[in-house]
Amino acid sequence: MRKRHTPKDRLITVALHVALAAGLFFAAFPIYWMLSSSFKSNTEIFALPPTVLPKAFTLEAYAAILGDPVKLRFFFNSYFVAGAVTVLTVLIALLAAYGFSRFNFRGKGSLNTLIISTQTIPPITLLIPFFGLVVSYGIFDTYVALILTYLVFTLPYAILLMTGYLNTLPRDLDEAVAVDGGTSWTALWRVIVPISLPGIVATSVYTFLLCWNEFLFALTLTKSTSMRTVPIGIQLLMGQHAFEWNQMMAMSVLGSLPLLVIYLVAQRFFLAGMTAGSVK
Amino acid sequence: MAEVILENICKTYGNNFRAIDQLNLSVKDGEFLILVGPSGCGKSTALRMIAGLEDITSGSLRIGGVDVVDMPPKDRDIAMVFQSYALYPHMTVSENIAFSMRLAGKPKAERKKRVDEIAKTLQLTSLLDSKPANLSGGQRQRVAMGRAMVREPAAFLMDEPLSNLDAKLRVQMRAEITSLQKQLGVTTIYVTHDQIEAMTMGDRVAVLKGGVLQQVDTPKRLYESPVNAFVAGFIGSPSMNLFEATLTGDELMSGTFAIRLQDAAFVRRPGLKSYAGRKVVFGIRPEDLYDSSLESGRKYQTIPAKVTSIEELGSEHIVHLNIDGVRVDSGDPDAVQDFGLTSNAVARFEPDSAVRSGSAIRLALDDTKLHFFDPETHLAI
Repeated sequence: MRKRHTPKDRLITVALHVALAAGLFFAAFPIYWMLSSSFKSNTEIFALPPTVLPKAFTLEAYAAILGDPVKLRFFFNSYFVAGAVTVLTVLIALLAAYGFSRFNFRGKGSLNTLIISTQTIPPITLLIPFFGLVVSYGIFDTYVALILTYLVFTLPYAILLMTGYLNTLPRDLDEAVAVDGGTSWTALWRVIVPISLPGIVATSVYTFLLCWNEFLFALTLTKSTSMRTVPIGIQLLMGQHAFEWNQMMAMSVLGSLPLLVIYLVAQRFFLAGMTAGSVK
Repeated sequence: MAEVILENICKTYGNNFRAIDQLNLSVKDGEFLILVGPSGCGKSTALRMIAGLEDITSGSLRIGGVDVVDMPPKDRDIAMVFQSYALYPHMTVSENIAFSMRLAGKPKAERKKRVDEIAKTLQLTSLLDSKPANLSGGQRQRVAMGRAMVREPAAFLMDEPLSNLDAKLRVQMRAEITSLQKQLGVTTIYVTHDQIEAMTMGDRVAVLKGGVLQQVDTPKRLYESPVNAFVAGFIGSPSMNLFEATLTGDELMSGTFAIRLQDAAFVRRPGLKSYAGRKVVFGIRPEDLYDSSLESGRKYQTIPAKVTSIEELGSEHIVHLNIDGVRVDSGDPDAVQDFGLTSNAVARFEPDSAVRSGSAIRLALDDTKLHFFDPETHLAI
């Protein structure tokens, strides 16, 4: 039976919707402003009162970025570093997580605690030590410096995430492989990895996002323009005398696109239950 | 095909918990042996030790004459059906069945031929391209069987393979597995906690309790001549009724009633005489208790009982009773479920029995079917 709505119920519903609309506006307006500004000329951006919709729609900001090899290099750097860190993180985290999830070894508990405890250290406190380390290793202003540093931050969380995921997979599967004539290595690559795709995708997305958005270490550990990543590239558009707001916004849009694509592609892995039908 | 011989097998965990204690078992070539016992008795541990999935703390294990204690599972020439089936969810039925052959590097044509043969035997041909998620419980169970069969092992190990199926399908699969085992003639060790499976499927049944082997025998001998009160209580459903009584002359005195024993009872069990004047545990199966008002019960002596509840199953009535006597615990943790708070005995009456819940009746018992156990050791007399 349908419940009758009293005037009080209706008032609560309306109030809820107003609150939700305000929340949505707060979250979505900056994104809208970024999009809208990227299609304006720099002069229109400074117009008073500001225009909500671009009065003179233009792609000049996009053309300026996509036609400039220096700016395109920022994108390449970001893709390369984030991609490399993601691949390495997933590979290392998967092996570590399989060890934690499936084997008992001396010091397992302490090692786990150590990994969790690394998450309590604010990254900024490690900036100077890392800088010193990178310089003394002679890898300052290289991809290696960024990749190694990012791995330090992505691995602990990725290992925890993957261990949690692997713990949900039935051990009977590993044992079935053992009886079928395989080793733990066979079980990992032929059975565990294919059915761990949701966990692997979640870890990859997290890692990629962390690297893609990282600003502080990218700023400190690189110097030459050719080594800069997208977040630094956006900041470089703020000159001493001129602010290329439309280009900054266009670069931000282009910088956000891969994340959007990743989310859309990865979404189905989050939803699908990969182990359905395995047991029971 | 091979003999599986376990000698003095022990399993002790790190916390000194002994899961298996001095297990000696010899499974003949082609035999279907059932390992049965209540939960936590070590039956699955024993099976996993045979498979190589659990280390053996001490003792020897030979499969087909080869000592396999230090061998990994893959070298033991065994195949296992898991309780959860453990099918590889990302592979099709065909790939699941052929997986072990693929790992062994068998050519594709040979794999296909073998998979097709097995699929035909198990009626899986039309499902070969399906993924496990799209199969019913019974079909998944068959795929798990197929995966074991493809290896042509020396022995099949099955860990409660029917426990996830519904009651009807379980009956069907029980028959299918039994006939498949006879057809293949492969030595099979089958773990279950369901004693109907134990009684109907195996050539012999090994009863375990607390990691200790209690008795290995044919289902019929287990039922008729249990070696102790635990086996007596565990085998048979509902469980055997076990009561404490004092043997006075040729009478068992318990509470307010007495059961007169015939001379034959003492002839069959010479040891019983030495219990004269002492306590003894007697047991009687529910099917050896009768409704004294029916023809079938008229020839037996009777004792007073109160009916507490009745389960009418159509073909029979399971009657829960209260008898004025001290019930003896057989040590089977699952047996407690047979009794409510008010009843201490169970009888199986014919469906035309007119007894009503709450009524006081005269319960007829076939005293030639009584079992006797020592009250201290619970060993059969």
